[in-house]
Amino acid sequence: MTSRHPSSYRDPSGFIFTHEGVLYRQINKCFAKNFEIFINSGLHDHLIKEEMLIADSIINENLTGSGDWHLTLKPQLIPFISYSYEWSFDMLKDAALLTLKLAKEAMKFGMLLKDATPLNIQFYKGKPIFIDSLSFEAYDETKPWIAYRQFCETFLAPLALMHYLQTPLQPMLLAYPDGIPLSVAAKLLPWKSKLNLNVNLHVHLQTKIAAKADNTNKSSKEFKFSASKLKNILSSLESSIQYFQLNASSGSWSGYYNEAEQREDYLDEKKAIISQWLSSLQLKTAIDVGANEGFFSKLLNDQNIEVLSADSDHFSINNLYKQIKKEDIENIMPLIIDFANPSPAIGVNNTERNPFLERVNVDLVIALAVIHHLAIGRNIPFAYIATLFKKFGPYLIIEFVPKEDEKIQLMLQHKKDIYNWYTEENFLKEFAAFYHVAASEVIGQSKRKLFLMQANEQAF
Amino acid sequence: MMHTLLYIDPGSGSFLVQAIVAAVLGIGYFFKNIRNAIKLFFWRLFHKKQKD
Repeated sequence: MTSRHPSSYRDPSGFIFTHEGVLYRQINKCFAKNFEIFINSGLHDHLIKEEMLIADSIINENLTGSGDWHLTLKPQLIPFISYSYEWSFDMLKDAALLTLKLAKEAMKFGMLLKDATPLNIQFYKGKPIFIDSLSFEAYDETKPWIAYRQFCETFLAPLALMHYLQTPLQPMLLAYPDGIPLSVAAKLLPWKSKLNLNVNLHVHLQTKIAAKADNTNKSSKEFKFSASKLKNILSSLESSIQYFQLNASSGSWSGYYNEAEQREDYLDEKKAIISQWLSSLQLKTAIDVGANEGFFSKLLNDQNIEVLSADSDHFSINNLYKQIKKEDIENIMPLIIDFANPSPAIGVNNTERNPFLERVNVDLVIALAVIHHLAIGRNIPFAYIATLFKKFGPYLIIEFVPKEDEKIQLMLQHKKDIYNWYTEENFLKEFAAFYHVAASEVIGQSKRKLFLMQANEQAF
Repeated sequence: MMHTLLYIDPGSGSFLVQAIVAAVLGIGYFFKNIRNAIKLFFWRLFHKKQKD
């Protein structure tokens, strides 16, 4: 069976589809010439060799049976598809820098990058990689960069806002999936952003000109462009992106483990129990719910398990990304996810971008020291939490934090205690509708308890 | 304002913007090059003197 991907409708050059469960990309006749240049110029091979573009193989078979068919590509599969509203600041920054690098490389081969959006980038083995092999066309030096404004709205504006406001703004990317309109960004940016020449030109000036320009009188032919002008624009965009930083380091959970480590052997005990359980199971993939800076994700990574490390705290996830980048860790995918409100389905017909829950399909869920944040912090009943975890995969390692724990007492200092139901007995009772307990152990001297659970067959 | 903006799509409206941005950047980079050339000149001069 062949089905076209619902998000693959914008570009007439081709589309993504699945055929008998395998993902392919069709190149249409109208793009044949450009694709030929892409291959013959050597750009295709060069980008794959440099690990900037996802590898693919050309298949000379019309799998869709469409009359527009020119070629079929079989790209290497990316295990987990994520979106920019789930990336931390440095992830988006690296994706932006990769896009500009691709634009520069393409010019060297006589081609132009015609799309500049985070949607064409995915994280693969810890690094951003470009996934759309139909984004390169023959370069006409007299024409400016067609993707300029798209780049400014999808990369430059969000990064500039996060830099100048020193606040993570991922929810804004969800609200504006096609990029934050420059007119909006210009209004939100503080006055001092005008002092930066690059930001002034690309955001403020662009907004002003766009508002004043009467396009009907002037055609684009009047503005002769050149390769050196485009290079200047790309270099200027690159130096602005390089300049942006989001350094506010004291997120509510950053440094959690430094503090947790001081608690007598608590982490070592926990690690030992989990390692022992892991060795008895054959697992390939996992999700670390409330991963913080990825202490336990790294434990899973050491056992060759691919991990989605998700947390709602931007600073923890950004630090984790910086670490995996520094240490070349390939199996950890950092993600900003609020488990009380995971990314929804968005776009045309609400089918363009899949919701988070539909994209996660792993062997193991680990939820360490997180249940009280969901149950008491966000008032979510145990049964709802179990429903959520069960959707991710069949095995669950969960830590139960009793109510007398000092962390919960700290939470209840500023909150009315309406959590009579928060007991281990209730927790086990409600989770029993979805899972059965395979093992359990108290962590060292603490009263916290680890459970290894397996989903009930009938729960699926 | 919004009305005008709607008619400026990435393919046409930003051409004028890019022409202006590129012109400003061109001037900027022109002076930067001169500044770098002067810097290099003095650096060489200084370096040469040190060698002597």
